[in-house]
This record gives sequence, C-alpha cells and structure tokens, in this order.
Amino acid sequence: MKILSIETSCDETAAAVTDGRRVLSNVVYSQVLLHKKWGGVVPSIARKAHEERIDFVINDALKKTARHSGRSEATDRILTKNRSYREHSSLQDDKRSRISNFDIRAYMNNIDYIAVTYGPGLAIALEVGINKAIELAKMYKKKIIPVNHMEGHIYSSFAQNSASNPKRPFEFPYLALLVSGGHTELVLWEDHLKFKILGQTVDDAAGEALDKASKMLGFGYPGGALIEVLAKKVNNKDFYKFPRPMRGSKDLNFSFSGLKTSLYYLLKDMNEREKISKLNDLVSSFQEAVFESIIIKTRKAIEQTGVKKLVLGGGVSANKRLRNLLRDLAKKHSGNVLFPAKKELCTDNAAMIGVAAFYKAKAGIFVKNFKTFERQPRLSINSKS
Amino acid sequence: MRLIKLTPQNTKEIVRHTAKVLKKGGLVVFPSDTVYGLLVDATNKQAVDKLIEFKERPAGKAISIFVSDMKMLKKIVKINNTKINLLNNILPGPFTVVLDYDKKYSKFKLSKNLMSEKNTIGLRFPFYSLINSLIAEVKKPVTATSANLSGGNPAYSISALLHRISKKKKDMIDLVVDGGKLPRNKPSTVVDLTSEKIKQLRMGDLSLFGNYKYISKSEEGTKKLAKVILKDNIKETENKSLVYILKGPLGAGKTVFAKGLGEYLGIKNIISPSFVIYYEYVIQTQSEKRKAKPRLDRGKKMVHADLFNVRDEEEIKHLGFEKYIKPGNIICIEWGEKSSNLVKSLSSKSKVIYVDISYDGGDRRKINVSSVGKKI
Repeated sequence: MKILSIETSCDETAAAVTDGRRVLSNVVYSQVLLHKKWGGVVPSIARKAHEERIDFVINDALKKTARHSGRSEATDRILTKNRSYREHSSLQDDKRSRISNFDIRAYMNNIDYIAVTYGPGLAIALEVGINKAIELAKMYKKKIIPVNHMEGHIYSSFAQNSASNPKRPFEFPYLALLVSGGHTELVLWEDHLKFKILGQTVDDAAGEALDKASKMLGFGYPGGALIEVLAKKVNNKDFYKFPRPMRGSKDLNFSFSGLKTSLYYLLKDMNEREKISKLNDLVSSFQEAVFESIIIKTRKAIEQTGVKKLVLGGGVSANKRLRNLLRDLAKKHSGNVLFPAKKELCTDNAAMIGVAAFYKAKAGIFVKNFKTFERQPRLSINSKS
Repeated sequence: MRLIKLTPQNTKEIVRHTAKVLKKGGLVVFPSDTVYGLLVDATNKQAVDKLIEFKERPAGKAISIFVSDMKMLKKIVKINNTKINLLNNILPGPFTVVLDYDKKYSKFKLSKNLMSEKNTIGLRFPFYSLINSLIAEVKKPVTATSANLSGGNPAYSISALLHRISKKKKDMIDLVVDGGKLPRNKPSTVVDLTSEKIKQLRMGDLSLFGNYKYISKSEEGTKKLAKVILKDNIKETENKSLVYILKGPLGAGKTVFAKGLGEYLGIKNIISPSFVIYYEYVIQTQSEKRKAKPRLDRGKKMVHADLFNVRDEEEIKHLGFEKYIKPGNIICIEWGEKSSNLVKSLSSKSKVIYVDISYDGGDRRKINVSSVGKKI
C-alpha cells in the first residue's frame, strides 16, 4: 500500500512516500538555516515557506521513489544551501512551474492514499498541508488518511528502509515516550491505534526547556543540540542540583517551567565571567534536571503499568545522553527500548506519518467529508473509549 | 516638508532617519501611543523655539518630553524612592508625569521654554516601541506635545492635521511620518507629582488610580488573579474581543496566568505555545457566573500566543491574529509588547489589558495590571 504523506504541523515542510512500514522517500525542507538567521521559529515564513515549498517537497518525494527504487537508502534531507539540490532544480524554477500535472500524474497513479497531519500544531501551518492534501485527493481521486502528529512520532521507531530494515516486529504493549521542542508525553500504546496518555507536560516541553535555558545563557537557536555537546565535556555531571519538578507528584505529568525560574535566580547571582567559566557545568546540570525528571516519571510509568518495553520518539530522542539514561532504566527493569533508526525520523518528518497512516488505512480510517475536514491545533492522541 | 509612510518593512530605517532629522534641529510629526506628536530635540533651544512658534503656544505653558526609559528619566529629574515606585507602577504607559526640574541636577540641558512657570517639566515614557526606539536612537529627550495648534483638537491622522494648517506652517515642518489612522486614544493622563498630594491635572484614557499592582505568592495566586480580572472584564466581550498582553522575563509565570484565564473559560489543557507560536482553544464550558449569558460561549475561541521566538515584526503580520478579533474571543499574547503595530491594530477593536509580571524573590511575583479604557 503506497501512501503519499504530508506533514506541516510546525516549521518543517515535509512529504514522504511509504509502502507499509517501508520508507521509499522522506523529504524535509529544513528551516534550520532560516532559524539561525532569525534566532527562532519563524511563523510567517513558516506559512509562506510551507506554501512555497510544499509542491517542491511533494514532487521531490514522488520522484525519489522512482529514482531510489531498488536502493536501500531513500532518506534525503534538503537544506537551502545544499548544492546537489541546486543542481537538481532551483526553487525559483520549481515555483514557476508549480506542480506540473503532466509530470507527477504517472507517480500519483502509483499512490494508493494520501495521508496528512491535522494536529496538534500551528493552525496556519497545518492548514497548508491539509489544503494541499485535499487538492491532490480531488485531482487524483484518492482517499485521505488523517494522522495525528503524535501517532507519527509513536510509529517512527517502526519505520523501515526500502529493504525492510530494521525488522522490529510489534510486541504490544509499549510505553511510548515522546520528547520534542513542542511535546513531552508518556503514552500507553496497547495495540495498533490504541493509545492512552499516561502523563504529559503541563507547561513547557522538555526540548523547549533546553532551548530556553540556552537562550537565557546567551547562545543561539537551536540550543538543545549545543547543550548536549557542552554537557558531555563535563561528563553530564550535575553540579548545581536544580530541582526535579513534579518529582513527588503521584501522576505522570511533567513540568519544566519552574526550571527556568531556578536558572534565572542562579544566573542573577553570577557575574558574566562566572557565567562563562561555569557554562558547561550550568548546561550539564540543567540537562540532567530535565532528563532525570523524564526518567523519574518513565520509571513510575513502568512500575504502574508493568510495561517494560519502551519506544522513544521526537526531536530530543536523538540526544545520546537521554538514550543512555533510558537504556539504563530499561535494563534495570529487564526491559528494552527502541529508538527511531535514523535522526531524520526523530525530528518532524512525513515518513512517520505515512507509517502510522498505513495502520489507519488498514483499519478503514479515512476522511469522510473534505468540506468538514479541519486542522485541530490541540488534537489529543487519547483513543476514544 | 517631507512625508514618509510608515510600514513594518521600513520601521528601522524611519527610526534612524527621524533621529537624524531631530539631531539636526528638525521639527517632526510622528505617531505616538496617543495622538500624533510634534517632535524636536528638547535640548536644542532653537528647535524648541521653532516648535513654540509653530504651535502658537503662550509663553510659560509647559511642553512635555519623551524619554526612552526610566534610566533617562532619572537623569533628568531627581526623584525619591516612593515616587520611583509609583512611576514603575504606571510607566511605560499613557501618562505624563510632572516633576520639578533642577538645572544643576539634569544630565540633559533642556530648553528653558519647556518648563512651566513653576519650573516643572512633564515627562512621558510611553508603552510604544516606535517612540521608545526613536528616543533611544536620538539618545536625548524629545518633545512630546500633540500635533495641533494651541487649543486645537489633537490629530489622529496626517490628512486631518495637514488639512487644518496653513502652507506657511507646513513649511516649518521638516518631516512627517505617516503611521496611518491612530486608534482614538485620548491624550495622556497628566499627573502632578511635585507635591506630597498627587493631583491628576488632565484625565486621559487611564486613571492613575485605575492601575493595579498585585503580589502573587504562588502559581495558584497568579491563576486566581487572572480569573478575577477576567471575571471583571467578561462583559466587555459582548461586543469586542479581549486582549491580554503579558510581559515579564522567562519563568516569571506568563503561561501560568494564561492557564488561569483558561480555567475560567473551561479550558484545562493549556501548555506553553512557544514552539508553535500559538495554540487555539475553543471556549467550551461556562463558569457558573457566566451561565446568564450562554450565547457568548458558542464557538468562541481563546488564542494563546507566545512571540518569544519571533524576531522580526514583519513576521507577526502573517500570524492571522486579525481573524480572531471578534466579540467573545479572548486573545492572550506573551511577549506581545514586541510588536507595537500588533498591539495598535488589536486595540482598535478590542479591550487591551496589560499584565506585567516580575520576579520578587522565590515564588513571589509582582503583577502589574493596567488597561487603556475604563477601570479594570
């Protein structure tokens, strides 16, 4: 079952073609370079960029399926300054031609369904993906599979390359831990498409906490990756013993907002020289506080549910320190932990949407009425019971 | 006379250019948080005299000045701690504060003609980033009188102003910055702080005594305050939207305040919107107190935004906030002060409430609430 999937829930414009769990192409038009220039997520550019880039990204995802067929790797990441992409086609040219129907019709004929993220996320960004999905669905008479962005992250560890690796059979139930710049959730994954949120952040997401700490310490965006590198220099030691928010609470919710306050007061009493000389110690301690809070709640979730198999997803799941802490945790409980096989599958991407969509299509979940199909910015993953 | 239209794209350039004209002693018509203002370098005697001639201002009548921040204000007038506390309470905002001027104390040599007969000076530190950045660029105080002839009506648009004055007067103006039609905010409230007893000399949109300062001792306290303020203002949503502009450093509790608003509106799943810029919620249930007006609730939305990650004002235009400006909707914007244009466009069709949260040791927070318009 070949699915063209579209993902525009925040600032990445992404499209992919999947066949079951196999990823045939996975294209992300990254805005990281723009971020660096602007110092943050750029919403309007995000909207404009989604509109300008979505055709290009979809075309590219479709074309790559043909080009890469028979090859084991099919994941591509396009950056604005990537030379090979420039040679391939310039964005200007592509904008002029938009989707050439003649050009992609052949590819679209091989596609069975179109999948699209309809939430959670930024309303104006989600709209772009949904509108495009509807346009293509009408043009090529395809059904649309609506996918929750978080479902995508949950399934991301089960995405395979075109040679069907890694194998990873499903062994339900799992505990899914989703950690990114916008989300922090613990989900009990009982079976395909059966989800129950056990806990989630009540304020900031874990990745956001790291990004904001990085901002408070004066470095650029994105800060999380830099923090990982600096913390490693001091062996991830905890020097400042920041509080572990919500440690004592019985529920499995997270809170990271208070850590900013702790950091604020700590920095207030330091002069610039101290801040610079203690930078690695500061970021390492902060990262430990964030990650240990995650570990504490994940441990609780294991104890409460008895489920020892963990699945990780989201941008922060690429962080090696967090991976090691989770491996240790799983080991202690004689369980195991699965991570997305590639970094590109951790951060926002459309391939994971396609994989989740495959199981939704098998369950017969399609958009019934295009007219009433709308984005849901605060969509929850909880299954209706 | 040169006329430039203000656009989000040329803001920085206009600020730079206007500062240059002012430094050379030029007379500039410029938008402000209240009405169009007449700006000259307040330390340039010739420029001030030109302004007085333009306005046909009787001698001895004071002309107030803009400062860029509290730091500049303190360099001009000597004030004790009690007054600093009071000023921190109301500034930046639509107030003119009248204080004693001591030539020997002031780091800026202001033209004598700006003072009143009693040697007092009126100072303005507006909640308006365009003026704030202009004065910061000039690095000197600049006059803040309204762009009209003495005794005439204040101007809210350039065409209304130019229509009223003679060619000769027009020739006296060096630069006009057209910021479009300004929302009809009244001129600032003038507060006399020269004696022990505080006097309000002219009443603008905001009363000194309608500005509130609270202390919250916990997150719960902050949420509770949010609910109380919303409850007092919920009636306003019958015919307009309600906009909260939340200010304060990272970790001060802006999202906590938004959660308090949400709880009052039956929304329990508010989280930080920093990553996606904004989340939209449907106002679903009614608080008991709102039961009398259930029709208000149908399909109404709460938008919770965070402009922290937005660096360029140009970006904000495209966020689509305008479509949420409808009666019954509640829009809550963290770091909203980053965009004076946004606040301006929202305030023409909404009631805007400013909430400024600052650290006060441990879990304590100072929360300053003010609003242009009626009592909060």
